[in-house]
Amino acid sequence: MSAVPEPILEIKSVSKFFGGLAANSDVSFTMDEGMILGLIGPNGAGKTTLFNCITGYYPPTKGEILFKGQRLNGMTPDQVCKLGMVRTWQKVRPLAKLSVLDNVVVGALVRTGSVPEAREIAREQLHVVKMAHKADFLAGGLPIGERKKLEVARVLATKPDLLLLDEVMGGLNPAESEDIIQLILDIKKRGLTQMVIEHDMKAIMRISDRIVVLNSGEKLAEGAPQEVVSNPEVVTAYLGEAHV
Amino acid sequence: MRPSPQSRGLALLPVVLGVAAVVALAILPKYVESPYALQLMVLFFLAVIQGEAWNLIGGYGGQYSVGHAAYFGIGAYTVIVLLQSKGLAPWWGLFPALLLAVVVAAIVGSITFRLRGPYFVLASIAVAEIFRLAALNWKQLTNGAEGILLSGIPPLVIGGAQITDFSSKVPFYYMGLALAVVTVLVTIWFQGSKLGYYLQAIREDQDAANSLGIPLTFYKNVALMISAFFTAFAGALYGLYVGFIDPQTAVGLDISVQIVLTAIIGGIGTVLGPVVGAALLVALSEALRSNVLTDLLIGSGLVDAGSGIGQFLRDNLSHAHMLIYGVLVALTILYMPDGVLGGIKNQLRKRRSRAAAAGGAA
Ligand SMILES: Nc1ncnc2c1ncn2[C@@H]1O[C@H](COP(=O)(O)OP(=O)(O)O)[C@@H](O)[C@H]1O
Ligand SMILES: [Mg+2]
Repeated sequence: MSAVPEPILEIKSVSKFFGGLAANSDVSFTMDEGMILGLIGPNGAGKTTLFNCITGYYPPTKGEILFKGQRLNGMTPDQVCKLGMVRTWQKVRPLAKLSVLDNVVVGALVRTGSVPEAREIAREQLHVVKMAHKADFLAGGLPIGERKKLEVARVLATKPDLLLLDEVMGGLNPAESEDIIQLILDIKKRGLTQMVIEHDMKAIMRISDRIVVLNSGEKLAEGAPQEVVSNPEVVTAYLGEAHV
Repeated sequence: MRPSPQSRGLALLPVVLGVAAVVALAILPKYVESPYALQLMVLFFLAVIQGEAWNLIGGYGGQYSVGHAAYFGIGAYTVIVLLQSKGLAPWWGLFPALLLAVVVAAIVGSITFRLRGPYFVLASIAVAEIFRLAALNWKQLTNGAEGILLSGIPPLVIGGAQITDFSSKVPFYYMGLALAVVTVLVTIWFQGSKLGYYLQAIREDQDAANSLGIPLTFYKNVALMISAFFTAFAGALYGLYVGFIDPQTAVGLDISVQIVLTAIIGGIGTVLGPVVGAALLVALSEALRSNVLTDLLIGSGLVDAGSGIGQFLRDNLSHAHMLIYGVLVALTILYMPDGVLGGIKNQLRKRRSRAAAAGGAA
């Protein structure tokens, strides 16, 4: 209780260039264990690119990333996942010809060599996202709302410490979005740390402990939700987009 | 969700049918002595072994290797060269042959699995061509284009008792059957294993698989090594059975293509797809060779025997394997993209999903 707890994730001056385009430039922030950090910003701000850099999908051009005190640079996505950090995909990536259950089994297998045990874990996670009744359906045939939930069940099955959710409410109707919000809050109660990219400002205000705003690849603002939305710079950046 | 007694009984059905089929095949040579029938069965078993082996990396893993002739050739050449020039009995020669195939697979995989899609396919073809050219040009070892004619296989003696002298087709029949059964069993194990799940995940979406903790190259390599092991085993059996190998018949592109077809036509990523594919392809190639197809066309009155077309077909159709295979693949991909068995499986699944949806709504 005495010492300040070490942050679970430290992002230090991360930049990512695509040719001349700076998709991320000199982005730094940290996350404490158990928190929900909302990552917002207009389209093309570099949010997904930051997820890609953090999880080893791209090497960052500059900067470093520490997860649980360990330097991630040069690690591949599978190694990062084994360390306990896993992401969902904005453009969902179901394993189309596998059943819903088997999609989640694949996630669970990172922690066990036993398929029966992985199936147990997978069934639990399908319950968590309320998709147990769809276990035997082909993942490729699901409607978008359920594909998004499947993404979440699959990453939960990897037993992560830190979850990165990339627009899991994108394209959902209000009822489905509300389900996902409840799901994210439930996950938080279980002690997992989450970084959430979301466009719906109301939702992000409700769930986030802290918000980081990206704009044109740079960190524009960081703070508590109320602080951030009343920041004039943030308001200006968002006025560029018709409405958010 | 526990299976009802009926459904458990139903789950046993494939096991019962499978055992019955193997027993029937095991006693078949007691009743069928026709060398022609036995020959067809040996070719069928060899095709099953190769199709099942390819299916592991190609069907489950989605890594379309069109270079499996390399492993087939390594199996055939190693065993035959060691036997013919060093007098090493084939059951000993198998060890270096299979080991070599597995090592080559590990090396080839480590290099080519970094490539995706068509680049991987092209690389696999190139690798097999390198091995074919090696067989063609390394004349001291392989006797080049002339090939190697085996002068005989030493009798197999275990504990002083002679098991077989390999003078009939029957020992090859049993070796083929045994290995075909083993490859089917390996595939059943594979399908339910972590390895099988990971390969299917890789087939469906490599980036998703990678993000879920799967080291892509490692798992592809493991599957390719198992695949190469059985393909080389089939190559060794083939060389011993035919008693002659040359670069074209042991490492040629046709072999690679035929292996892929066996799996695709039957249905990739299914346990029995390659068995169905092997039966169809062996039957078809036999029908082509013996001009059955031409006779049918003429018999049905579609083509006049005396006409130029009739004569042309009679002269050429029997050599047109590859052309007809190509047409078959195109038709399969267009109308039955998951192969004969895959198509049936999809239909069943659709019906089950519909039943489940109806049940859920009620
Ligand atoms: N692989 C890539 N190659 C080139 N440019 C890219 C690539 N990925 C993203 N970008 C560019 O980087 C910028 C940020 O994209 P992205 O991270 O997807 O934004 P966001 O998720 O915030 O909408 C965009 O201009 C996008 O076009
Ligand atoms: Mg994005």
